[in-house]
Amino acid sequence: MNRTRILLGTAALAVGVGLWFAFTSPVDRLQGEFSRIVNIHAPFLWVAFLAFGVTALASIMWLVRKTPRWDRLGEASAELGVVFTVTGLFTGMVWGQAVWGRAWDWGDARLATTAVMLFVYLGYLALRGATPDPEMRARRSAILGVVAVVQVPLVYFSVYMFRTLHQTPSIRPDGATMPPEMLTALLVNFLAITYLYIALLVARLDVARAEERVAIESALAGDAVKPPRLTEVEDV
Amino acid sequence: MGALVVLEDSGVTLGGRSILRGLSLSLGAGEVLGIAGPNGSGKTTLLRLLATLLRPDRGGGQVLGAALGSAEVYQVRRQIGMIGHTPAVIGELSLRENLEHAIRLAGADPSRIEPALRVVGLDEAAHRTVETSSHGMLRRTEVARLLITEPRLLLLDEAYSGLDFYAQELIDALIERATADGGAVVVVSHDLRYLVERAGRVLNLSAGRLEPVP
Amino acid sequence: MSFWDQALEVARIDLRIERRIGDVLRIVLPFAVVALLVFPLALGIELSAISRLGPAVFWAIGILFGMQVALRQTADDRPERRDLYSLLGLDPAARFVGRCLSGSVLMAGFLLVLLIATIVLYSPDLPPGWPTPVFAGLALTAIGLTELGTLAGEVTAGLRNRTALASLIVAPLALPIVIGASQTLESLARDAGILRWLILLVATDLALAVAGVALARPLEEASR
Repeated sequence: MNRTRILLGTAALAVGVGLWFAFTSPVDRLQGEFSRIVNIHAPFLWVAFLAFGVTALASIMWLVRKTPRWDRLGEASAELGVVFTVTGLFTGMVWGQAVWGRAWDWGDARLATTAVMLFVYLGYLALRGATPDPEMRARRSAILGVVAVVQVPLVYFSVYMFRTLHQTPSIRPDGATMPPEMLTALLVNFLAITYLYIALLVARLDVARAEERVAIESALAGDAVKPPRLTEVEDV
Repeated sequence: MGALVVLEDSGVTLGGRSILRGLSLSLGAGEVLGIAGPNGSGKTTLLRLLATLLRPDRGGGQVLGAALGSAEVYQVRRQIGMIGHTPAVIGELSLRENLEHAIRLAGADPSRIEPALRVVGLDEAAHRTVETSSHGMLRRTEVARLLITEPRLLLLDEAYSGLDFYAQELIDALIERATADGGAVVVVSHDLRYLVERAGRVLNLSAGRLEPVP
Repeated sequence: MSFWDQALEVARIDLRIERRIGDVLRIVLPFAVVALLVFPLALGIELSAISRLGPAVFWAIGILFGMQVALRQTADDRPERRDLYSLLGLDPAARFVGRCLSGSVLMAGFLLVLLIATIVLYSPDLPPGWPTPVFAGLALTAIGLTELGTLAGEVTAGLRNRTALASLIVAPLALPIVIGASQTLESLARDAGILRWLILLVATDLALAVAGVALARPLEEASR
């Protein structure tokens, strides 16, 4: 069986396991059932950070090595980062609406900086879409990919820099602030969503390689151009 | 039958500069007129004047019975066909889509598109976008369009440049068809030898004026 | 081909191109949403005032960024394409109408998504019965802004810095549209009549349509 299919299948299983942990773990006393959203919201955003970090690394590698696979990796990871950010933001807004009574709060620096991060990478993808030449696209994306990653630490440290509505991280170097069962569920989901990201990344890279093969094979336009049939002019 | 094109002491000024000065010429049915001249002599401006896309600043003239610079030109433009320096195509569309779009706007019969693509040798390549097509392929698309629209006045501005032997033959077939149907053709090129081989009459455009070629 | 057939053909091709390159969806719209995000952060305004500011910010950003929709690259014909259109017998007025049709569709979609983003981000206090007048105002704004942008695009065709120059022309001329659009919701909130503002929008749209059609030929000549 194809490696990618195995990865995707096992990732789906892992996510299923994570969701089982999420729905069987105890809930927060104040937030009730809505506290379970943390098992999706936090891992998705963590993986988004990871994805954009991978894009930055791939961008650096492309600038050093100039090989197409680094460009493919940068693009694929950025796309997934955008998807994971949107999911993380959406689940955060649902959680915010349930817990704080409003989906969006301007007082929440992490929310605002995460949204800005999303648009930075939408701009990255728009830049790629607007550049037809592969070499130029790779170069420009690589430069933007390196610059754009500065947004990631800004988002992460925003809850420390600004006293805002958003809670500070539950898992810190000095220990966790949540009960062991909830922590276990959260960590299982972190691993499951990270694994999901890896599986989707591999699948996306397969597609990118196939797209590149098609582009190369169809590059010779002249092969499809035939000599004119001047004797058929009167048939027009 | 009267002349298809008449210019009487026509002049055109663009950007404050006098590009064409005191041009007079007459072109009848079945004629192929060659216009030679160095770069920057105003050949493209002359063609655009004949295409009724510019109005004369001095003098006047008629193209297909419509007075230049008047609203009459809107009635005859569909009978004029032009291949300019730069292929007139929409980059984001395929060759076939470009052709279909032009034919629909021209009100011509869309069932002629496939035969035209076969004649120009693009029947298997017409799905390609403009961005992935060569200059020669874009020219062939323009030839296909003109084979369908069958203009009475055909204007070719350096149409042969950058084309392979086959594509050049297509341009020749276009010229032959236009003149056989009672139309006229004006061919602009800086290649004098080429013009002499194909045109019944060759004029030289120099310093904004037309002179016979010695 | 009749006038309307030509106009619809121009609109059809315009929308097909936009679907392929997606300038509005991938670039202009995200840019406008970023502006919605940046606005309160940059002003540092009191959080409770943000919801009151929502409608005004929406119209301001909608108009300013909407101009980019009207002036998108796909609506700018290169000289050789203009010449071809002339020789194919495309009526310049039909080309104007066709561009306005496709542009209005894109503009209405753009404003609608922007409206949803504004409601989510700013949580404005919307008065009862707001959907119908707001959507009507939105549609009329889309049409008027597109007509204005298309006209400005024709006036500046082929010029250096076309987009910036055309935006400069459109911005002040869009004042009746801005007033009509923003006052529709304001009046609804105050329980005052909204009819005059909708009439202002309709009248502006009609005037621009007539101007565009009447000036199409002279504009085409001027662009050569």
